[in-house]
Amino acid sequence: MTITPVSTNRRAFLALVGIGAGAALGAGRRHLVGLPTPKRLRPPGARSEADFLAACIRCGQCVIACPPDALRLADLEDGIAAGAPLFDSRENPCNLCAGEDELHCIAVCPTTALNALDDRADARIGTAAIDSERCFAWNDTVCRACWHACPYPNSAITLDWKSRPQIVADACTGCGLCDHACLTEPSSIRIAPFGVGVDA
Amino acid sequence: MRRRSHIWTWARRATALGFFVLLVAGARTDVEWLRGSTTATTLMGALPFADPLAAIQTALATRSVTRELWVGAGILAALAALLGPVFCGWLCPLGFLLDGNAALRERILRLFDKRHRRIAERGAPRGTRELALLFVLSFTVFCGIPFFEAVSPIQLLVRGIAYGAWLGLFVVLGIAIAEWFAPRIWCRTICPTGGLYALLGRLAPLRVRIDRERAGKLHCAQCESHCPMGIPVMNGYTLAGASAVDDPDCTRCGACLDACPGAVLRIGVR
Repeated sequence: MTITPVSTNRRAFLALVGIGAGAALGAGRRHLVGLPTPKRLRPPGARSEADFLAACIRCGQCVIACPPDALRLADLEDGIAAGAPLFDSRENPCNLCAGEDELHCIAVCPTTALNALDDRADARIGTAAIDSERCFAWNDTVCRACWHACPYPNSAITLDWKSRPQIVADACTGCGLCDHACLTEPSSIRIAPFGVGVDA
Repeated sequence: MRRRSHIWTWARRATALGFFVLLVAGARTDVEWLRGSTTATTLMGALPFADPLAAIQTALATRSVTRELWVGAGILAALAALLGPVFCGWLCPLGFLLDGNAALRERILRLFDKRHRRIAERGAPRGTRELALLFVLSFTVFCGIPFFEAVSPIQLLVRGIAYGAWLGLFVVLGIAIAEWFAPRIWCRTICPTGGLYALLGRLAPLRVRIDRERAGKLHCAQCESHCPMGIPVMNGYTLAGASAVDDPDCTRCGACLDACPGAVLRIGVR
């Protein structure tokens, strides 16, 4: 005989309440995905912000595996995205595991949050944008810092006839190496996170 | 009559502390024994572990399951099915912290009242973790995010110490303070992770067994007043002659075995 601390009736009632809530709320699945969470740069291999946050189990294994130590886990200020990995491209950008034989964060991810890429150039972390009012090269001072830092120079960042950098959005991975390298303070380059708010 | 022992208490504290130290070392140093957090961990860079509740949430949110998740969650679910919700008593970092917190509270209360703990204290109510569990699952389906793993205090503790996301530590501190007024309210009343482990461990053969030859003479209720989960340990025996503790909340932590002055209780297979 089992002695239960709560009568069976009350327990059945509580279960019904929970299941009822689940059924009712389940109908509106994903409505909360549009919750205002800060725009963040996610590791490579994340598809859309919604799919990434749905799959990420918040274990931090990508943070440990990251060779340039760029990733960290979001704190509570990120609300429902707390515990998911992100990086700050100005402070410590993703180098797409240059010199490594694989992208380590994707390799250790136990879920479908980070998915294998056929080619590193396919990574879509975000898209860089240059502030031509602040950028040295756009203001008649010689500078190619971003172009030198870019892992895909001449395809993701091109220089025009006056050596002014331009972003080619289709080829930009959003790794943030250009933002990190930018000599102006604050940086003339912003990386807009890819797929934020897009429900794939 | 036997003096109160502390073997089980120290064994489980050492186990939980060791687990936590390895998690922190895995994140902060080159030690590779455990890498990850309590939601998903890799042992020795090879064997995946996943918290069953975290894995279910991810599966519900993405409507898919990866190999790491079902193997990892399967291992821990099988362990719970055999041994009961031992994660709570023996591994959980938050459980470890709150256990120490409760011990500190006992020490301080005893300074003011020498008779404290001779009689069982009314702790936080039980039987509501299943509701919290159902709420977490329904909310996960609703919002399409394993949301409890974002805000779980177990996670916040690990994240705060191992990964430097320190804001969450204030939540943990708040729970620790709340437990001075409502002892064990997190583990007993709220924790959905523990609630799922309790469900998984319902039929576990490993039990706290009651020696019917020795029982029934003392009625000292020391086991009951020392049980972190507030289980009326001897009720099953007194009311129905049970030879084992059948409460699903029992984490096999051994606190009752340490407290028993008459060697009535032991851990064994049902």
